[in-house]
Amino acid sequence: MARPHIEPFCDRDEHFKPMRLLGFGTGMHYKMLSMDTDTGACSMTAQFDGGYKRSPGFSWSEYEFIVIEGELKVGDRTCRKGHYFYVPAGYALPEISSDQGCLVLYMYNTGEPSHEEATEHHPSAQTQLYHDVDSYMDIPWAAGNVAKPSVASGCMIKLLNYNPNSFAMTFLYCMTPNFYQDNISYHDCAEESYHLWGTSWMMQFGDVPTGGYFWRPAYINHGAFASEYGCIALGRVDSKLFNHFHYNPWTTPVENAERSEARLLARDPLLYHWAFSKDHNHPHSPKDFEMFMPRRGNEDGHDTEHKSDGHRHDHWHGHHHHDDHSPHSHDHHHDH
Amino acid sequence: MTFKNLYIDHERSSEAEEWVKEELAEQEERFAKIEAAMEDLAPTREKWYQEFFDRLRTNGFNMDGDDKMPIPESDLPVKPADRKDQVVWKYGVDSDDTPRNGKEG
Repeated sequence: MARPHIEPFCDRDEHFKPMRLLGFGTGMHYKMLSMDTDTGACSMTAQFDGGYKRSPGFSWSEYEFIVIEGELKVGDRTCRKGHYFYVPAGYALPEISSDQGCLVLYMYNTGEPSHEEATEHHPSAQTQLYHDVDSYMDIPWAAGNVAKPSVASGCMIKLLNYNPNSFAMTFLYCMTPNFYQDNISYHDCAEESYHLWGTSWMMQFGDVPTGGYFWRPAYINHGAFASEYGCIALGRVDSKLFNHFHYNPWTTPVENAERSEARLLARDPLLYHWAFSKDHNHPHSPKDFEMFMPRRGNEDGHDTEHKSDGHRHDHWHGHHHHDDHSPHSHDHHHDH
Repeated sequence: MTFKNLYIDHERSSEAEEWVKEELAEQEERFAKIEAAMEDLAPTREKWYQEFFDRLRTNGFNMDGDDKMPIPESDLPVKPADRKDQVVWKYGVDSDDTPRNGKEG
């Protein structure tokens, strides 16, 4: 049943454990932060001893990681703290190593940690999605108003990863010294955060210090918010982030979800009535026609490029190409 | 999750199966500790709630960004008599202990 509510938690209160899963080698230690009870997807802080090396290879799960302290070599590149990686499932990274040791935050998104030794990507890997960036040096801070209504000024973000389908995001966020925001928030999505440095405070949970962490399922109250000396953290949401602000600390997740539903009715009444009509009550999930509609595709090497020259025609049904003026027949009726 | 939802199907090894099982057992312990700690924090949190309400009346409620609106005393919420102050909800709306429609689980 997904990941449970882990909040607040501080990894500094725990001991590192040696990683014993095959493929990770010796010299990797970890502290588990949260784990999905169905899939084994998890987030963990990992410490690599000085001299650690891991062979080139890929994971069956997509994963993200960011260097917290020290230096990590990825192939020939030396990556310092703040360097972030998004690695699709099946994407083979080169050897990683650390001469002096380092601390890394790992997030395996769709399955348990795995490492298959390989120098080539898995055929199913969506390699074009891979990206990495030195998030401390190469991305400027932007206003935190990625969602409306927004957080108060003094909370800023750097966007690291974005899913255009689900609107899920991975981002750095910071709070300036003396930041405060007097409201209670909840979201329609799960939210995760790891404090890379500094302390923030939330009215429900108290202080979240350096190494502080939470995984919070949707619709759970959090806030008011404050940070006396400032903080920087890595945050994630697993779908669209919307800030439902209010000031009643005693509401339950179900009441919050019902409020979200009421707000959906107020904002998108036609969509609401369509979605919740008994006649359109889909047992699994609504159907996005773009996922299922017939498409031209690339049938037997069929070139879908526009071909009309007055003699030839655009077509997307299955038949063979022929040279101009050569006789040919179609295997089914169509209109020209 | 982020989350591009990518996963390549494979058979999980018995070693990985065992590892996940152990981690989930430890997670249960971790959750129980957090839940207990947050129950212990309830008296302090009650003060924080009152300070929050004071600030709402005087400094205002952050409606959007820095736009603030003072909340009159009469509009402040009242704690339902039959409800404990709960801030940790194991699986959110899917929790077995989540009150539904005002009824305690």
